[in-house]
Amino acid sequence: MKFRIEWIAVAALVAVLTVAVVNQPPSAQPRPSAAQPAQSLPEGNTFAVRDVRIFDGERMIENANLLVRDGLVEAVGPAVAIPAGIEVIDGIGRTILPGLIDAHTHSWGEARRDALRFGVTVEVDLHGDSNRLAQIRRERESMRATDEADLWAAGFAVTTAGGHGTQYGFAFPTLAGDTDVDEFVSARVGEGVDLVKLIVEDLSVHSATTRWPTLSPGQVQAVIVAAKRHQRTTVVHVSREQDALMALRAGADGLAHVFLDREASDEVIQAAREHDAFVVPTLSVFVAGSGPGDGASLGTDVRLRDHLGSAQTQSLKAAFPSLSAHPEYPQRALDNVRRLHAAGVAILAGTDAGNPGTAHGASLHGELELLVRAGMSPLEALRAATSLPAQRLGLDGRGRIAPGLRADLVLVEGDPGTDITATRAIQGIWKNGHGVSRAPLSAEASAAGPAPVAPAQSLIADFESVALDGTPGSGWQVTSDRMMGGASSATFRRVEPGALDSAGALEITGEIAAGFAFPWAGVMYMPGSAPMQPVDFSSRSELVFHARGDGREYNVMLMSGATLQGMPAMHAFVAGADWAEVRLPLALFSGADLARLRGLGFTAGAPAGTFNLRIDRVELR
Amino acid sequence: METIMIFSQRSLRPYWLEAKYEFLRLLRTPSYVLPTLLFPALFYVLFGVILGGSRSGGEMARYLLATYGVFGIMGSALFGFGLTIAIERERGYLTFKRALPVPPGALLLAKMVMAMLFAAIISIMLAVIASTLAGVRLAPTQWLLLFVINIVGTLPFCALGLWIGTRVGGQAAPAVVNAIYLPMAFLSGLWMPLSILPAIFGKLAAVWPSYHLGQIALKVVGRDLGGSVWLHLLVLVVVTVAFFVMARRRLIAVG
Repeated sequence: MKFRIEWIAVAALVAVLTVAVVNQPPSAQPRPSAAQPAQSLPEGNTFAVRDVRIFDGERMIENANLLVRDGLVEAVGPAVAIPAGIEVIDGIGRTILPGLIDAHTHSWGEARRDALRFGVTVEVDLHGDSNRLAQIRRERESMRATDEADLWAAGFAVTTAGGHGTQYGFAFPTLAGDTDVDEFVSARVGEGVDLVKLIVEDLSVHSATTRWPTLSPGQVQAVIVAAKRHQRTTVVHVSREQDALMALRAGADGLAHVFLDREASDEVIQAAREHDAFVVPTLSVFVAGSGPGDGASLGTDVRLRDHLGSAQTQSLKAAFPSLSAHPEYPQRALDNVRRLHAAGVAILAGTDAGNPGTAHGASLHGELELLVRAGMSPLEALRAATSLPAQRLGLDGRGRIAPGLRADLVLVEGDPGTDITATRAIQGIWKNGHGVSRAPLSAEASAAGPAPVAPAQSLIADFESVALDGTPGSGWQVTSDRMMGGASSATFRRVEPGALDSAGALEITGEIAAGFAFPWAGVMYMPGSAPMQPVDFSSRSELVFHARGDGREYNVMLMSGATLQGMPAMHAFVAGADWAEVRLPLALFSGADLARLRGLGFTAGAPAGTFNLRIDRVELR
Repeated sequence: METIMIFSQRSLRPYWLEAKYEFLRLLRTPSYVLPTLLFPALFYVLFGVILGGSRSGGEMARYLLATYGVFGIMGSALFGFGLTIAIERERGYLTFKRALPVPPGALLLAKMVMAMLFAAIISIMLAVIASTLAGVRLAPTQWLLLFVINIVGTLPFCALGLWIGTRVGGQAAPAVVNAIYLPMAFLSGLWMPLSILPAIFGKLAAVWPSYHLGQIALKVVGRDLGGSVWLHLLVLVVVTVAFFVMARRRLIAVG
């Protein structure tokens, strides 16, 4: 009896394991988030996304299809049929969001272009030039392909002469003690403002000594009444809780910052609820140096880093000077948002981008993470950056994915509804239904444009002739860690004979010096007409060369990408005593951008010591 | 009424005592406690936080949280259960216990509960490290599911450990358990994703119960390979039952 049970147990075990092995799904890597370059976006403004999770502005729809035609969303949902003949993007494991909305920015120069590169398709400028108001209205009504986010703007904010907002170097009409408020507001509305921004700031929260003049409560009330008559939403800048209370009681539609001077009292919370006001906390400028979501953390996030221009990276590292004198402000800002949100006050995502510690576009992703840190759920944070600001600020047709609405979309890897930072893993951006390219506009990339395509021949170099130039390009140069402070060295020369009975080969000798974390020394071949200029090798799939050496392990380095700051992709090989062919599929070099190949290096690495390597017949097939 | 109450009181006490002394015994064995509790945490800090953290934006930390949890509880079950059984069997301790008025299952049940207790500690330690150092963010249900998976997941490895313990002597047992534990964990994709290994190992990974438990844990964080959760569960249940059955026979026969 026992004997039989044991054999049954073994048989069951074998059977179930066989079934498991047979049904084993392929162990292809689940889609990596950052390493894989985003697939190329469809041409034109008609396409579909299949089997994707969709956040429509309100809630998540799992496993749905999205159909976009002529720049407008045509259909959304699990049962949507995708007609034949249009380009389809695979959405498994990914999420589509409406283009994100930054409810408080100051956008000039490259700002709107920077914003769109990070999936922010609408910015709301709360103090800037009024002269462009007509043009930005035209631009956001157009369905043309563009590389800039749409802009709604308050034009010049309403502030007193010499008050906050006047220190930026451009002149604009201000409110004095005796100005007719009605006339003033009518003039602003006549300039074409989309909303009215008021500034109540005497600088007491940020400076112990300096005080600026600011609007009186009576003026605030009068401006708000006048703006309402013209049906303009009013947003008030405050730093003090009592100013917030005053503004809310005067009928303001919303606050442009969360107040910092003290904890939110029951009165201010009640006032916000009674008037159904919204708050744009702009945590991004108040929590510098405090950890996840702040500017410094965004600058090092690998999903964002490669798309930041150098000016943006610098800005992210900065912070408002007053924050260092008030270390309690960051936590208080988060706590006040927590209290306001828990009481049901509407919170909108805005960054005050343009200020120290922020970067247009990238900071909104940080703001989302900060809102979650302050107690909002990821879905609530997503609503705060999509449907809610669209509704509260009157941004027609934005912030939602629904039939008939503009196709401003962001495709991300993963599920931001569970992990809010997944919004940074952007795989595709569409504005007005047209795909948006994400190359950062640093000087090198914008000067080059698309890289010239490499000439058709696969042979890079065979060292047959005495001249050591590769074909074509700048040729071979020494590369070593000396450029980063190391002490390794290398030289190269042509030697005879070469591999496979050919006339010549390249010999690289040198010494790796200890003391540097990742030492390297060797040669680099640069295909471009100027050193490190990119060339398009995307049609090639394999690197083949012959190598012979002292038995050490060497590395092939691919320098590529939109900027010069990218890390090289590397793969190792061993150079034995006899000539041997080395074949490396280019797919092994994860992270390499073959459309912008800048250099091909053959280098020695650790351990320290002398090295001797010969290479011949280098081909990119 | 009274007699029934006394009876049930009496029949629970040996189980409680066995569990308590087993716990004390394990606590006083640093060679068990330290590796079982510290290694998963150390490995996670090294590979998930330091080496993996900034490169992949937290994806590595999340993947490794799921798999190192499984790795940790495997160790807890195989060593706390299988290894101790092997050693005790060799010393004749099991026969001795059988001569005592102790319910026959009490010792084994106590050991299983201990394995689960240590699994719970490991799971919590990893969760704390992941959420603080690695910045991993999960929904509360996800944290809870990982915790439950780690605890209940000790069962198949208790069974496997028990069976190993009945087959090898106390001297060889540490080597045998290690020889099974480490390669199995590695080949199940618990240390790094299977795509790094040659394809043949990826294909055969499904023979390891740790692979299936790992896939269930990865499903919770959304990083599994897409296989059916019922198949994984079925494999684990059959493994548990089969090895307990095979071990039982040897325990009864040989002692």
